[in-house]
Amino acid sequence: MIPHPPGGAFAHPVTTGIIIATLAVLAVSGLAILGIARSGRAKPEFRRELWLRWASWCVLLPLMLGPVLLGREWTIAAVTVLSLLCYREYARATGLFRERLLSLIIVLGILAVNFAALDNWYGFFTALWPLTACLLAVSTIPLDRPAGYIQRTALAILAFMLFGAGLAHLGFMANDPGYRPLVLLLLTAVALNDVAAFTCGKLIGGPKLLPATSPNKTISGSLGAVAVTTSLVALVGAAIFRGTPLANPVWLVAMGALVSIAGQAGDLLLSSIKRDLGIKDMGTVLPGHGGVLDRFNSLLLVAPAIFHLVHYFLGFGLGAASRVITG
Amino acid sequence: MEAWKLRPARDLGLKPAERLRSLGREPGLIGLGINAAWRRGVRAYLRACHGFRVEGLENLPPGPPFVMVANHASHLDALALSAALRGHAARRAHAMAAGDLFFANPAVSALSAYAINALPVWRGRSSRGDLDTMRARLAEDHLVYILFPEGTRSRSGSMGAFQPGLGMLVAGTDIPVVPCWLQGAHEAWPPQSRTPRPFRPLHLRIGPPLRFGQVPAGRAGWQQVAAAAEAAVRLLSSERGPLNEAP
Repeated sequence: MIPHPPGGAFAHPVTTGIIIATLAVLAVSGLAILGIARSGRAKPEFRRELWLRWASWCVLLPLMLGPVLLGREWTIAAVTVLSLLCYREYARATGLFRERLLSLIIVLGILAVNFAALDNWYGFFTALWPLTACLLAVSTIPLDRPAGYIQRTALAILAFMLFGAGLAHLGFMANDPGYRPLVLLLLTAVALNDVAAFTCGKLIGGPKLLPATSPNKTISGSLGAVAVTTSLVALVGAAIFRGTPLANPVWLVAMGALVSIAGQAGDLLLSSIKRDLGIKDMGTVLPGHGGVLDRFNSLLLVAPAIFHLVHYFLGFGLGAASRVITG
Repeated sequence: MEAWKLRPARDLGLKPAERLRSLGREPGLIGLGINAAWRRGVRAYLRACHGFRVEGLENLPPGPPFVMVANHASHLDALALSAALRGHAARRAHAMAAGDLFFANPAVSALSAYAINALPVWRGRSSRGDLDTMRARLAEDHLVYILFPEGTRSRSGSMGAFQPGLGMLVAGTDIPVVPCWLQGAHEAWPPQSRTPRPFRPLHLRIGPPLRFGQVPAGRAGWQQVAAAAEAAVRLLSSERGPLNEAP
């Protein structure tokens, strides 16, 4: 169990700190864009792009952080919606949406795995991953259409792994009474990770990381992001996990590095998918960002990785009632 | 073994409002669900309130792609033709609807796209590219098009001449054209009325499919297709059968 002081949503000082810091960053970046606009040096298209991004964040941040503050059920519901939106974009981009049966099973799988999180039924939660994968593998056999079997099954299992089983770990964390600071830290740290990679890459420059996969990423940006994110997560993590076996510098640094590396890996994973398909963005929902997946790609691998690290040391939701719905 | 083929949705990257009006719109689970519910609702309404009867179902090709053409007297026409289809063909059926009417604003577009599964045709300003898209999708995506080659609803109820646009879609291909005659639609929902008038009978007769694989693609060929389809629909209208018997 993650240590938590008694009280409401803002009982933990880290929760309050992250919310205030986020609001401050939003305000400062808004003022900075205003300054750029007033100076008249930036081109109109660039100013428009900056405002679009900033406005998207203003809508997105309450939708991301709000449910976490509101409570367990809200968090799991928000993760469910996010999973479905991510799957929709992936399915339309890869063409998997034309496989109605597989799409239906993945949607039902996403609902089931998030139900298991809502129920705090860890056994079912973990069982759903192999069970759904098996179901996806056999379900299209009766259609007697072996052409394309490997491709559609692989696309479907990857989809359920990333958006169903993987992302649902974020919701399952909410079963721990002390989930708020950790989930807020992950949500903000992966965003910071992206910003740090971009900024370090621009400031330092140097050789490209994987030019064929993602032409704008540099090695310096990637290492810079690891340094920034690791320090931040380790410092905040020390406050969250004080007095537990995780509050050890080695594990805290490992956790920070895991957030950064898994975050960048998720980003590169989506870049690989987009490059293979020959598209730039997965969608058009978020002006200035692209699709939902373009924004949340970094979270896909961070959620299960950090879940299992924390689970190994502390366990999630062990103190809370389990199987609250199924009894 | 074939190389892996990934085919993104044809409407990928379009903004939601553009997507509704796109000829490349491909429905997902939500669209299929809404369309299926709408089709069942329409079928139940037509049966209950218009005694909707279909004859000649055996004339439908075993599966898509094919084009259904019919006389056009009412907004009920496209609904009745799609209600006559079942299974795979029903899910793949797209009615060609006047863009200026059915895609006038986002709310109407959403209904046309999601419920009726309509694709917009812009009267008088359909570009060559639009027709190429429609022609390509018919064959590649195995669709069913519901088409009214008169181009507009008959104000009198009697059938007008077929436009050659139908020919552009099917001339030189093996895609069958299924002639249909819809009797009673003008009385059941006249163009002058805002709502349908219940308890007026509606009958659909489906004729044997025509094929135009040997017809050259070109103005003369398109005219030939339109004339043949028109003749087939007129023949259906005059055939003896339950449709023409006195009630």
